[in-house]
Amino acid sequence: MKIKKGWYALFTAPLMIMFTIIVIIPFFKGMGYSLVSWDGLAKSEKVFVGVSNYTKIFSDKQFLTSIVRTTAFTLITVVIVNVLALIFAVLVTTKLKVRNVARTMLFLPYLIGGLILGYIWQYVLGDAMSALGEMTGLTNVFFNWLVDKDMAFCAMILVSMWQMAGYMMIVYIAGLEAISDDVIEAAQVDGAGFWRTIMNIKLPLIMSSITICLFLTLSNCFKIYDVNVSLTGGGPNNATEMVSMNIFNEIFTKSHFGYGQAKAIVFFVIIALITLIQVKVTGDKEVSA
Amino acid sequence: MKIGKIVSLFLTAVLGTSMLLSGCGSKGGSDASNSEDGKATGKITIFQQKTEIYDQLKEMAAAYEEETGVEVEVWQISGDDYYQNLKTYMSSESGPTVFSLSSSTEIAEMSDYLEDIGDLGFLDKINDDLIAKSSGKTIGIPMTAEGFGLVYNKDLVSADTISSTDALVSLIQEAGTNNMTGLGLSQEAYFLIGQILNTPFALQEDPVSFCQDVYSGKVNIADVEEFKELGKVFEAIKESQKNPMEVSYDQNCGDFATGKAQMIHQGNWCYSLFSSYEVDFDMGMAPLPIAGNKSIAVGVPSVWCVNIDASDNDKQLAKDFLNWLYTSETGTDYLTNKFGFIPVVDGMVSENLDPLSSAVSDAIAEGDIIPWTFNEEWPAGIITTYLVQNAQEYFSSDMTTDAFLRALNDSFVTAANE
Amino acid sequence: MKKNPVGKVIINILVILFCCIYLFPVYMVIVNAFKSRAELYENIFALPSSLTLTYFQGALKKMDFIMAFKNSLIVTIVAVLIIVVLSAMTAWMFVRSRNKLSKILYNMLILTMLIPFQTIMMPLMQEMNQFGKLFGIPFKDSLGGLIFMYVGFGAGMGVFLFHGFIKSSVPVSLEEAAIIDGCNIWQLFWRIVFPILKSITVTVIILDVIWIWNDYLLPSLTLTSIKNKTIPLAMSLFFGQYNIEWNMAMAALTFTIIPVIIFYLLCQKHIIKGVAAGAVKG
Repeated sequence: MKIKKGWYALFTAPLMIMFTIIVIIPFFKGMGYSLVSWDGLAKSEKVFVGVSNYTKIFSDKQFLTSIVRTTAFTLITVVIVNVLALIFAVLVTTKLKVRNVARTMLFLPYLIGGLILGYIWQYVLGDAMSALGEMTGLTNVFFNWLVDKDMAFCAMILVSMWQMAGYMMIVYIAGLEAISDDVIEAAQVDGAGFWRTIMNIKLPLIMSSITICLFLTLSNCFKIYDVNVSLTGGGPNNATEMVSMNIFNEIFTKSHFGYGQAKAIVFFVIIALITLIQVKVTGDKEVSA
Repeated sequence: MKIGKIVSLFLTAVLGTSMLLSGCGSKGGSDASNSEDGKATGKITIFQQKTEIYDQLKEMAAAYEEETGVEVEVWQISGDDYYQNLKTYMSSESGPTVFSLSSSTEIAEMSDYLEDIGDLGFLDKINDDLIAKSSGKTIGIPMTAEGFGLVYNKDLVSADTISSTDALVSLIQEAGTNNMTGLGLSQEAYFLIGQILNTPFALQEDPVSFCQDVYSGKVNIADVEEFKELGKVFEAIKESQKNPMEVSYDQNCGDFATGKAQMIHQGNWCYSLFSSYEVDFDMGMAPLPIAGNKSIAVGVPSVWCVNIDASDNDKQLAKDFLNWLYTSETGTDYLTNKFGFIPVVDGMVSENLDPLSSAVSDAIAEGDIIPWTFNEEWPAGIITTYLVQNAQEYFSSDMTTDAFLRALNDSFVTAANE
Repeated sequence: MKKNPVGKVIINILVILFCCIYLFPVYMVIVNAFKSRAELYENIFALPSSLTLTYFQGALKKMDFIMAFKNSLIVTIVAVLIIVVLSAMTAWMFVRSRNKLSKILYNMLILTMLIPFQTIMMPLMQEMNQFGKLFGIPFKDSLGGLIFMYVGFGAGMGVFLFHGFIKSSVPVSLEEAAIIDGCNIWQLFWRIVFPILKSITVTVIILDVIWIWNDYLLPSLTLTSIKNKTIPLAMSLFFGQYNIEWNMAMAALTFTIIPVIIFYLLCQKHIIKGVAAGAVKG
């Protein structure tokens, strides 16, 4: 199908112009700031320091560790969130009586964010866990997770999973509902059971939803900030500090605007590479109409 | 050509609709002029960190407009996001007319944005040490004073049992054996380590040069007596109490209000948290008794500043407003009684201070105070980015107290040289 | 499964049971909106001792809820509307004209979804200020300006979702037939393509509504005057420097969630109906 340039412009230009103004220009401006030493106030002097902000990164152990940690966190969380979201979506698109109620209930966690999220979960992971430990005697599993380095990291995964699974479920539901009933019926006539239908029919047909969800969870996890600040605050002893928080502290707490920007750019390049690979890999498996 | 026109038309339409549909918020206008009846008209905006007094500030704004005809708009934000947003507003030329700053780091950073307000008449009635200055200019008026120390339950603790480090340590240990909290700390960076660590710094003969010596590596705090004594207190807390990392500020205050904690290391601000409990005991504030200290730590949590980028007219309105707030009957009534602030202007009294605030107020009157070095001398952001991590490691591992003090020292050196 | 009614009941019960456990934190938000600080301290997990509405009323009053609700509603509806329309158009065009430009623009849209917002907020606000002065359009402290920014930030996800769906579920043959019938591109998109996109459109709407309705940081930077406050901004009132009023904050959060639940219930139907529309290719 041939489309004239005029139509192309009419359809795409309005959004692309707004997008350029809001995202692209500030992004490049921010990139420029990564070459100066500056405290972030317009009137303060910006001293051009070239790439020294970038070279400094390689000796910033705390930042490098937080990159590794965030990557590990992301990989684990992405898998768990998507598996769970898919299970939820399959469950609530069956003919279960309670499917509509369940759908609404499962997406609710995403609506609870900010400080309240941290406050509530601190009680669940602290008091409730300790109480469970006393009740069952399994005090080596049930204790305040947030004071232990490894378990605080697990707590981050648990809470993020709790938050995001229902959100991603929405996308999977759309994918599953888009599969026409004819296809399913045809498969069932051929004798495919519940599991066979899911594995051989549904999954391949929602490959595009999977690509979308993987990408969205990847970017959400890499950028995770809210849960980090409100749940663990990066502690104990920096064991859960993720990259966004590290960058935020550099820019606003320590007022190293230029250095913070340089960190952001480096991190951006890393996650861009990882996610592009993901989109390419899963995208190739998609069935095109 | 034609397409370009269509695109631009479309874009205008989209923008137009969004502006139209949203009622197109007008800009905070500030064209001040004198109206016919001689009253000044115009508008100033106020932005400050204490969300707690937002309602009272709004009331005050209404009262001020009634008296003078000048509109005061109060902006609000959650306490934690204040400085970050202020900085962004200032950098994009849309800052408020009057705003608050809370540490010398913030004042130094913002110095290009601060108007000289040295010509305000009532300044000579405020203790010169409390007034914020920057390169010779007077730029900030203290909002209030606040103090912290050992907030103690007078039914459970008598003042003379906490007059020395050893007495304090044995009290904490004994409370621990009775399954009580002797001296409660809580998980928030300032309450876990920041404020309590101020005392040994403030007790030095010359805190300013002492800090410099620490930053340059000339002195290690682990070898200084005041810090060693604080270390003993920390050790007692670590050994005989619930891990402070598991206690939130709210819980810590709750423990105190319900008599489960004999003391907490807190400031007069925490009194507002006791209001919904039935507190049936008297409380007081005592100094942290390390190295014979007999003073509570008092400082200015924030100062009022005027935005230098505001129009001359607005700046005048802002100064008029501050003058009104600190000298008029209505203004001072708001400051002392409605906001519950501890007065900082000579001759200004507040009749209904809570017990903790009056303890602080008395200490100020007697001159029996030590300064807040963390607000004045410490490197920017050190409490939330470094010290709290050290404290968390101490409380969650088998780190020795000496190693803990050395780790704190390293953090100061690192942060100061960043 | 059909043959065993008892098993079916059990599965239903199990699912609901799981949901209830899953929603335990939400339960905590709601019950603690009824408790005083002292009661909250006593036991945060227990049911409230009395169903007092003090904190709900207090929250409504303190937040000026009606005004904040109105502002949130305007911003959310208008922004989501524009995002959906523009990103559907853009995504479709990208799928149908596979030239280099489309590819570059598409990748740019996707990659920028990975930028942490904090790193561009300062340059963005400076730029908005300059634009405002240059064109005399009040981008700052206006709902219109905020909406404009949301469209920019929402473009990535919108285009990404539509792009994926169009590629996999909209048959080219249908479009070609319409062209032969004499449709121009504009008519083709709105009459033929857009209706097929219904289920993904509803998905985009849901995701964007949740995002914009709850967003705090962007409005906190753009909206300063009282009359422009959105709900999350108004909620920040309960988070003081030394005193967080948890009960009021949770009451306010409960109020904030309810409209989204109602909205989601309304939308659900349309996702299900999407089956019939999506079946065109079948």
